[in-house]
Amino acid sequence: MNISIITDITLAHYLILAAVLFVIGMAGVLLRRNVIVLLMSIELMLNSVNLTFIAFSKYLGLLDGHIMVFFVMTIAAAEAAVGLALAVSIFKRFKEVNIRFFEHLKG
Amino acid sequence: MTADSFLFWFLAIVTVTSGLSVILMNNPIYSALSLAMTMVGISALFITLNAFFIAGVQLIVYAGAVMVLFTMVLMLFDLKHEMQAFVKGKFTGFIKVASVGLLAGLLVGAILMSVGLFTEKTTDNPVTFGTGMEATKALGRILYTKYLLGFEALGVLLLVIAIGAVALSRSKGGTHEH
Repeated sequence: MNISIITDITLAHYLILAAVLFVIGMAGVLLRRNVIVLLMSIELMLNSVNLTFIAFSKYLGLLDGHIMVFFVMTIAAAEAAVGLALAVSIFKRFKEVNIRFFEHLKG
Repeated sequence: MTADSFLFWFLAIVTVTSGLSVILMNNPIYSALSLAMTMVGISALFITLNAFFIAGVQLIVYAGAVMVLFTMVLMLFDLKHEMQAFVKGKFTGFIKVASVGLLAGLLVGAILMSVGLFTEKTTDNPVTFGTGMEATKALGRILYTKYLLGFEALGVLLLVIAIGAVALSRSKGGTHEH
């Protein structure tokens, strides 16, 4: 195995790290049933996308990626606020925050 | 091994480990704490990428505000019977894990295949390689000129979200009749 893969940190290292974090978040969304943990997994996925943006921003020498990270952070905060408000309202009705209660959301 | 590469590998191990513990911990409070650790690790990774201002914003907004919101909401709930809230069913669980593994393989494979396409970096822009002040100054400048419309739209969005969250949490449990 080539030693320069370990000692030289390139763009691909950051991209692969971000991909791994994204996949972990996706596994959380698919496998967990707790709404709060689901929202946390979505935050993890958004964070990994931010990492990709910053890595490409440094690689290309442009600042536009940083602006995109601002926008993603604001959207993530808004999404967390709305999701947690929904979780609170579900908990008030069912005394549990399991995702299977979303199946009852009709009419 | 230089200091840069050591820092990267250390932070990579920290973020991946705490990211895994977010989805594997039974208690949601431990998940929230692991997520805060992941946020701090990603913020440190931003510093290794010379994005100092974004790293500070990440610490304040995510590790500060969003995680406090999560833990406060968790403390409102009584989650004793929610400890083992994983999916039921071996077969669907296996399919989900397999699809996640497939996506991981696709992503990593695509990145590794396209490594040769990344040309050697030719533009060493002084803005992104400065001591931090220049980058932050340029960031503020393009945020308030080139991206002014998006910035204002985000302000409107945050106002709508604040009102909507209050209205949602005051309602008595969605569309069900009581």
